Amino acid sequence: MAVSIVTVFLPLRLQATVDDALSFAYEAALPYYKQGFSIRKDAWGGDLGVREKKAVSSQLFKGNDYWFLMATDLKGASLSVHLYDDKGNLVDAESWQKGRFAGARVSPKSTGTFFAIVQILKSPEDRTPWALVYGYK
Amino acid sequence: MLHGKSLRGEGIFSGFSMKQISLLTLLVSVSGVSALLADMPPKKIALSDFPAAAVQDVVVPVPSEIFTVLDKLGNPNWKSQLRDGKAQTPEDRARTALLLGNVIAEGFVAVEAEDSERVKELGRQVLTLAEAINVRKSVIARSKSITDKADQRDWKGVRAEFDGALQDVRGAMQELNDQDLSQLVSLGGWLRGTEVLTSIVQSGFSRDGAELLHQPELVNYFDRCIGSMGSRLRKNPLVSEIRDVLRKIGPIVNEGGEDISIDQVKIIHDLTHGVNQQVVNGAN
Repeated sequence: MAVSIVTVFLPLRLQATVDDALSFAYEAALPYYKQGFSIRKDAWGGDLGVREKKAVSSQLFKGNDYWFLMATDLKGASLSVHLYDDKGNLVDAESWQKGRFAGARVSPKSTGTFFAIVQILKSPEDRTPWALVYGYK
Repeated sequence: MLHGKSLRGEGIFSGFSMKQISLLTLLVSVSGVSALLADMPPKKIALSDFPAAAVQDVVVPVPSEIFTVLDKLGNPNWKSQLRDGKAQTPEDRARTALLLGNVIAEGFVAVEAEDSERVKELGRQVLTLAEAINVRKSVIARSKSITDKADQRDWKGVRAEFDGALQDVRGAMQELNDQDLSQLVSLGGWLRGTEVLTSIVQSGFSRDGAELLHQPELVNYFDRCIGSMGSRLRKNPLVSEIRDVLRKIGPIVNEGGEDISIDQVKIIHDLTHGVNQQVVNGAN
């Protein structure tokens, strides 16, 4: 899987920061855990340049509510995550963006494949490590 | 996936105080306002703009993602879905990995049936099977928790432990660079989950129920996983047969979710039931 490849082949320094980014992503997920969302241990991650986007595919089920939480550990960077269905329509029920954290919620109207589009909005570095987790209830 | 470095399921947040949680909740609430100002996503995008390298693979849903939806769809006869007997630990590692995933999924059925003895037995089987593929250590605590929580009839807790067991086993395998077997554990769980789901949907057919089978990317993903496995595993007769089954299921679940008919549900059920029999009992 892509993230596994990232984990295996990234230089050690960058791999470490992706792990740090993951810690921040879990931090962003904390309030939703408190609201009863089960937060998945599985995660996506990697590094992106400024304005570079990545699509993360996910199987979601109608009847569940989902929060996707993204973060970087890089101070001064900001990023975003938004959710689209398999036709490319924006399906965010709500979303927020705050510096190194971002989140988007969806209550799928149908079961199927959805895409979280992640993007680095600005960054002091050429490449910005990021991680994305999701929770459901 | 970022297994190994990540945190333990429902225990992820155990290090945070309630004050910290409140501050983070406030942060998230306030940030909702700035989102409107700083980040305006397009209402429509062309997914074709994303080349394969810019798309990360699907994460396989854990069983409870589906079971939470099933909970909302009604109250099926879960006891009738439980499988009898105890499977012997196979010598074939591929089959062992598939069976481990299968048994974890069966754990969810036992939870739904609120059968604490069966839950405990399945928790012990998870440990035995994990031992056979060298990841016993990763599930010792889970297995004990499954037993404890089943005794307390804490069904939500048992579900979390089975979810956690699945993720811990996969994480441990990935740390051992056993990615292929890790995928087979997920696949084994998906096959048993799909068999049960199709059985339930058949017995009280509803479009909402059938729509849960609309999992095209997931089926393709499993197919791709098998395709990228080492030749020994890929040519394993059971793995090869499962790939054939996935390729038969793929076109059915690729249709619009609302259009999956009861006949198609039956086809998926028969296909998954057939291979699960082999996972449990060995080749016919």
